[in-house]
Amino acid sequence: MQAQPRCFPRVSISPVSVALSTLMSGPNGDDMPSDSQNMFFVMLVVFPMSIVVCVQLALHVFGDLLDSIIVDVASECHRIVRLGLERNLDEEEEELRLSAQARARIADPSNNVEANGKYVVDIFGQTHPPVANEIFDCMNCGRSIMAGRFAPHLEKCMGKGRKARLKATRSSTAAQNRYSRGSPVSTYSPYSSTASINRLSNGNPRVATGECSNGTVEEP
Amino acid sequence: MSTKPVFHKTNKSHPWRASIKRPPTPDAEEDQDREPTLQEIINIKLIESGEKEKLKELLRERLIECGWRDEMKALCRAFTRKKGRDNVTVDDLVRVITPKGRASVPDSVKAELLQRIRAFLQTAAL
Repeated sequence: MQAQPRCFPRVSISPVSVALSTLMSGPNGDDMPSDSQNMFFVMLVVFPMSIVVCVQLALHVFGDLLDSIIVDVASECHRIVRLGLERNLDEEEEELRLSAQARARIADPSNNVEANGKYVVDIFGQTHPPVANEIFDCMNCGRSIMAGRFAPHLEKCMGKGRKARLKATRSSTAAQNRYSRGSPVSTYSPYSSTASINRLSNGNPRVATGECSNGTVEEP
Repeated sequence: MSTKPVFHKTNKSHPWRASIKRPPTPDAEEDQDREPTLQEIINIKLIESGEKEKLKELLRERLIECGWRDEMKALCRAFTRKKGRDNVTVDDLVRVITPKGRASVPDSVKAELLQRIRAFLQTAAL
């Protein structure tokens, strides 16, 4: 779970020091305890004295550095805690308690999900109406709309839906026809197939394709 | 060992300081008899050349990068929460952090530092 450092060590690591550092469990105090002494003699068999002493010294120095960094971290944490700068100190247990409470409330079978009728109680004990009832103004047409009804309203308002599109194109094709052909205003949309089917009352269901552009009805 | 007289503060001379009992000041001669150990020599060389400070900064940077420092701070926070905010001392925190801290230094960080230290030893001392 320890993340790797961003950059790899710039110096090459000799296998000797890696081997020795993994053999020795960690930096010791000033006096060598007995098992470290045993390790010392064991290593003397494999490596020459100079290397063993060197590694031991290096481990001692490393231990010093690490100890002083540990003291730094400890004193900084101590300072933050005593000055009251650690605001999460008690919050966390409060949150843990609340979430445990919420979980208990859900797991509890006596607690109603359907018994309450339409209203479902969520883990915070709140209920929400099935349709959102906040009211605001539509930015397209400016009317007051209820939030739960906003999407259907926008469909009509902005021309995504069937009727709105019909409305829009009807007025535009009507304008075209008036100018170009002088023929009576046609109510047939060149795009909408179902509208054509509906209006052909002579029982001739003919599907109007997208290319049908002149908009007049042709008798077969 | 030393033949010089040692002065203690007694009740008769300083009644208002009766509670003070200082150990005798160590003689300067005693220090000169003792040979500085190899570790002490190396330590002095490290400090004088400024290498110790650089190594410490390098170690600190690596430990922050790998998240070790955050782990230690989380340990401190957990201990503080258990013990109570006003009862915590620096010694407590050091005692809590040290075993886990020494064990959880990543191997790559340790190897890098050891290599740097060994390089210094080879150039400076041995």
